[in-house]
Amino acid sequence: MDFSFTLEEEKFRDELRTWLEVNLPDGWIEGTYVMPEDDATKGPFLRDWQHKLSEGGWAGISWPKEYGGRGASLIEEVIYEQEMARVKAPTVLNIIGTAMVGPTLLQIGTDKQKEQYVHKILNGEEIWCQGYSEPGAGSDLAAIQTRAVKQGENWIINGQKTWTSYAHFADRCFVLARTEDTGKKHEGITAFLVDIHQEGVETQTIRSINDKREFNEMFFDNAVVHESDVVGEVNDGWRVGLILLSHERVGVARQTFRLQKLFEELVDLTNNLKRNGKPLIQDPIVRQQLASFRAETRAILLNYYRHLTETIRNGRPGPEGSIDKLNSSELTQRILSFAVSLQGESSLLWKEDALVSASWQQAYLRAYAHTIEGGTSEIQKNIIAERILGLPKDIKY
Amino acid sequence: MDFSLNEEQLEFQSSARQIIESRGGLQLSRQYTEGEENVLNDLWAELGELGYFGINIPEQYGGLGMGALTLVPVLEEIGRAVLPGPYAETMAFGTPLIKAYGTPEQKQKYLSEIAVGKRKVSLALLEESIDFHPSTLQLEAQEVDSGYVITGKKLLVPNADVADTLIVPVRTGGGHGEYGISLLLVDREDTGWEIERLKNLDETRNLFNVTFNNAHISEEQLLGTKNIAWGILQEGLVYLNAALCSTMVGGIEKTVEMSTEHGNTRMQFGQPIGRFQAIKHRIVDMKLALEGSRSLSYYAAWAVENKSVEMIEAVSLAKSYTSESYVKVAGDNIQNHGGMGFTWEFDCHLFLKRARALENYLGSPNEHREKVAEQLGW
Ligand SMILES: Cc1cc2nc3c(=O)[nH]c(=O)nc-3n(C[C@H](O)[C@H](O)[C@H](O)COP(=O)(O)OP(=O)(O)OC[C@H]3O[C@@H](n4cnc5c(N)ncnc54)[C@H](O)[C@@H]3O)c2cc1C
Repeated sequence: MDFSFTLEEEKFRDELRTWLEVNLPDGWIEGTYVMPEDDATKGPFLRDWQHKLSEGGWAGISWPKEYGGRGASLIEEVIYEQEMARVKAPTVLNIIGTAMVGPTLLQIGTDKQKEQYVHKILNGEEIWCQGYSEPGAGSDLAAIQTRAVKQGENWIINGQKTWTSYAHFADRCFVLARTEDTGKKHEGITAFLVDIHQEGVETQTIRSINDKREFNEMFFDNAVVHESDVVGEVNDGWRVGLILLSHERVGVARQTFRLQKLFEELVDLTNNLKRNGKPLIQDPIVRQQLASFRAETRAILLNYYRHLTETIRNGRPGPEGSIDKLNSSELTQRILSFAVSLQGESSLLWKEDALVSASWQQAYLRAYAHTIEGGTSEIQKNIIAERILGLPKDIKY
Repeated sequence: MDFSLNEEQLEFQSSARQIIESRGGLQLSRQYTEGEENVLNDLWAELGELGYFGINIPEQYGGLGMGALTLVPVLEEIGRAVLPGPYAETMAFGTPLIKAYGTPEQKQKYLSEIAVGKRKVSLALLEESIDFHPSTLQLEAQEVDSGYVITGKKLLVPNADVADTLIVPVRTGGGHGEYGISLLLVDREDTGWEIERLKNLDETRNLFNVTFNNAHISEEQLLGTKNIAWGILQEGLVYLNAALCSTMVGGIEKTVEMSTEHGNTRMQFGQPIGRFQAIKHRIVDMKLALEGSRSLSYYAAWAVENKSVEMIEAVSLAKSYTSESYVKVAGDNIQNHGGMGFTWEFDCHLFLKRARALENYLGSPNEHREKVAEQLGW
């Protein structure tokens, strides 16, 4: 066992730290983090950050050098996520583009697709979103109903997508649509690269429980896609969709490291909040709960390192990522719930009126998304049960 | 960065498993509880011949010269089979303390006998109030010419029937605090002790009250410096707690396997019960508990081997998490097996009982969490 990083890896970390110190938006290094609330300023703010990242060479670090990346190793990607979590860097607006669409096109895209899209993904000129979920197809993703019909050189798309993150800031969408009815759910699906600034696409932002706007409904009404924008083969979209998802090489590194940071902030909170004149951290019950959260966060981090060792050995991530995702999203939720309840009656106050910092109440509500997005906790449990433990498969209808 | 056991350690694991299974695996502890206590002698002898008692003993005393991490796979295997016996106490308490604080003569004698499986060690720690505060250590060792005399009782001593040496904390300097405590190596062949077997929920791990009657212990049997051995004792308890975690991980692993297999084969309502999510997801929760326990326990052993500054915290985190997980998982395993799980004949209960035994052995989860809080300066 060896928990150290090589000199080269440490150099990578230093380089990133130095860059972050100079380039993070105002307030980030000091820890005040003011993200604009309204879309009109939030969009440009995030685009600006994306642009800075790509100029500094920090947008697609695992991309090959010839496409503007750094060809970073897995460990370097992990260090990157660690450092970004440490400073709570703002979201990368084009994360779907840099982490998934771009690498997928580099792997299986045509020359034309690479030429047309790839560098604009990295420099943030075109923001991407991911159109998988539909009202009738969430956990059961293969039940999608959105249709595409061939007409000359074009495909005509009709249907509805939902929960599409960042579509309201996006320019293009990676869409899965049904192109043939074979009677088998996983067949007859095709992956398309869709321009969403066209007439046949309408995006409606949905308000989330934390009073933010982060995902959308999308309506496709005779939207047009040229045949050159099909990814992979026609009717082979299920496989293509999975390839896209498989590009998250370092898995839930981000969530794992944010969890560690969150725990540190919780300890600070219990140092600062007082009951009967004494800091909460001196209350035996609070101490016990903290120590128990500490054990859980450490277990998750160490699990992650163990799984990462496996990934490095095998050259690709295994289903163990589901263990990391399930654990960290569930624990994040519990820690935030505890943090809110510690605030007593004033725990109901939020936004500008929040007792300590508005971010606790925000994060608490946001945490309900962690156990849903990217596959619900129940679906993660099925994956662990079936693919890791070898228990019988769920009945499929 | 590499967080895994190495080839050699995995090798130890698979051969230990083979040996234990070939001699009956869980059957061994079954037979033990039914009174055939010497079924274990052959097993320990074989493991001794193959060097399993010499893992962390220096080569000059006939050991293999490796560290605490290499004990991990063996401890896990012992836990999988819920084996009785003071392996952890011998290898993870007696050995490291003698190695670090023993006189040259003590090292020569004890380490070389332990290395070949000839001597087993246990610790006789608790007294009347059964807690871990220094004031509760009151057994007095009276100084006489060339040694000490002790008269009194130690409670809940594990494996006092098969141990050849007991490490006994005593008061040599009076008082109630940390000062004044010394450690004595008490050998059965020289001194002897009286044992009274206690009825124990975990029948695979017998506990005894031990009485010393005017026992005369020579000066050479003092381990470490007189009067200031409290720190040494604490250090030993940290090592031993880390080792207990690894045996618990083995037990948790086995219960996950049992539940998985049962989920795949037990048919109800025309399908394997593992297809019902109420069962399936419970088994996944067990698996999560296993993985977390394993990571924390590996790390604890790593911290011990490397004398990391985080050692105490790492071990207490692992102990609180792993012992609570084990109790929960062992209970879930019974539930998953239905009526069968509730029978004495079936093996589920062995794990629950071992889990309960280790949960509070050398510190409850709450006590360990408080230690974490102290270590972190909270
Ligand atoms: C913040 C956020 C952002 C998102 N971003 C995107 C995006 O950018 N693009 C995109 O395509 N999608 C996105 N999603 C959609 C997300 O992937 C789905 O919400 C998710 O897969 C669950 O689907 P569903 O909402 O239809 O819930 P359902 O599938 O209807 O699930 C409802 C409940 O039933 C449970 N359930 C379902 N099936 C089973 C089963 N077999 N066994 C046990 N329980 C089951 C679920 O676990 C859940 O608790 C986002 C979601 C959120 C919350």
